[in-house]
Amino acid sequence: MSGQILLEGLLAGAMIGLGAVGLTLTYSILRFANFAHGELLSWGAYLSLSLSLAIGAVSGASLAPLDPFSVSVALILAGLLAMALTAVLALAVDHLLFARLRRRGATAIIVVMASFGASMALRSLLEFFYTSKPAYYSRELQIAMPLPGGIRATPDQLLLIGLAFVAVIAVHLLLTRTDLGRAMRAVSENPALAGVVGIDTAKIVRAVWIIGGALACTAGTMSGLLVQIRPYMGFDLLLPLFAAVILGGIGSVPGAMLGGLLVGLCEALAVQTIGAEWRAAVAFAVITAVLVLRPTGLFGRAA
Amino acid sequence: MTTAASAAPTAPLATRGLVAGYEPDLPIVKGIDFTLAPGEFVTVLGPNGAGKSTFVKAIAGLVPLHGGSLHLSGRDITGLPRHELVRQGLAFVPQTENIFATLTIRENLQVAAAVLPKAERQQRIDAMLAAYPDLASRPGALAGGLSGGQRQMLATARALLVEPKVLILDEPSAGLSPKAVSEMFARLVEINRSGVPILLVEQNVRAALAIASRAVILVDGLLRHDAPAADLAADPDIGRLFLGAHADGAAPAGEGTR
Repeated sequence: MSGQILLEGLLAGAMIGLGAVGLTLTYSILRFANFAHGELLSWGAYLSLSLSLAIGAVSGASLAPLDPFSVSVALILAGLLAMALTAVLALAVDHLLFARLRRRGATAIIVVMASFGASMALRSLLEFFYTSKPAYYSRELQIAMPLPGGIRATPDQLLLIGLAFVAVIAVHLLLTRTDLGRAMRAVSENPALAGVVGIDTAKIVRAVWIIGGALACTAGTMSGLLVQIRPYMGFDLLLPLFAAVILGGIGSVPGAMLGGLLVGLCEALAVQTIGAEWRAAVAFAVITAVLVLRPTGLFGRAA
Repeated sequence: MTTAASAAPTAPLATRGLVAGYEPDLPIVKGIDFTLAPGEFVTVLGPNGAGKSTFVKAIAGLVPLHGGSLHLSGRDITGLPRHELVRQGLAFVPQTENIFATLTIRENLQVAAAVLPKAERQQRIDAMLAAYPDLASRPGALAGGLSGGQRQMLATARALLVEPKVLILDEPSAGLSPKAVSEMFARLVEINRSGVPILLVEQNVRAALAIASRAVILVDGLLRHDAPAADLAADPDIGRLFLGAHADGAAPAGEGTR
């Protein structure tokens, strides 16, 4: 019983963590809370869907699911392409909206409000193109396998937990071991000094949108695989994402992942013990508690 | 006067009619002609609010220019983005927040080394660590844990890492202990003797005149006086005329202005 809660929590948490890593990076470098980040998840999920359908149609039925997973080669290819397209979408939104505001020296609250607008516009576009009816990558039913400790999990679920961890470790290594990563951390701490030491901050901003968009697409596609694809899926995840970012400490990648896992586990626990209708309240409780008790989060700087 | 217009094309650093300020209609630097000759060590002095810091920040690309031109070793670098200025050979050490506190000492050097060709980076970082034993003893430590003097050392090492054509420092003595200040100034003399021209903004007038070869005095955004440092140091009227009533005691040794 408790093992099953743990698994549910880990799954939701890995997904939240993955989305939160992208959010914490854009938050720390662009210095505003991007409320349109959830829509990058939704767009990523829908782009994966459309591309996998397109690839499936072009290749005929030759791309069967990779046993034992429900995931097909078509969806994997589509996912990779969708990551690139979501990154392009993030860059486009920045170019059309946020970059203009930055150039004008707009205050953070103006940029946050603009991101609200972007969020609504992007979500409405999805409803326009895809309707609000839920969609699925695969109608195939998966049988949960019994695992030690009386836990049952589908192969997809285990694959996604693994994938999330690989992605987060990759981002962490990028930040700590590469020139790009060090430059990103430098810009996040002090953009003016970063320029003085020769870092092209505009290039770093582009890199952050690309990484954030690709990670959002991964998280969105994961969420679509585990539950369903809806235009509101990303928006509904926004609160848990921010809870994870703030709990982990803004700018901290390991913090965002750990925060995501903790929020996911708390949610699963709340669903079991209090009731499913309280799931959304958990993220609120976490944000409030962190801001009151430890505003710097687990590893980062103040929110 | 060494600021002859004919010297501009080849001088390591030259400004012509430089106008700068945070707001276009509120210039703080109001048209400065200045030339830094090869191997020179010039200190920028002046009363509080004269525009000393704004002048060097404008050169480093941190304050918008609204007129005039900027030349580095004969190249017109007016209006280049600040990250390009470093690549052209202009190194700047800001007065405050001049290191990345959340990066390690080595990482602080690595981010700066990224403008160098890949093959030279490691060797330049090693050379800087060798020149600053205080930093070399624990390159993996977070720079945020360094003392004021060590931070200034790291900021200077980072600026020198790229072998700049010109080194500009904005009040490096601010907030340091008297011992750290004299160490810092001894370093600057050494760096200058190795051939790097230096432009130094200082509140600490006597100490600055003791190490610089020439001094320029800014008053209300204009260059009002330009003389060999030794002449100024020997002239008791200069302080009263240009540096305000408290000139001699304006900045007691080692005391910052913050």
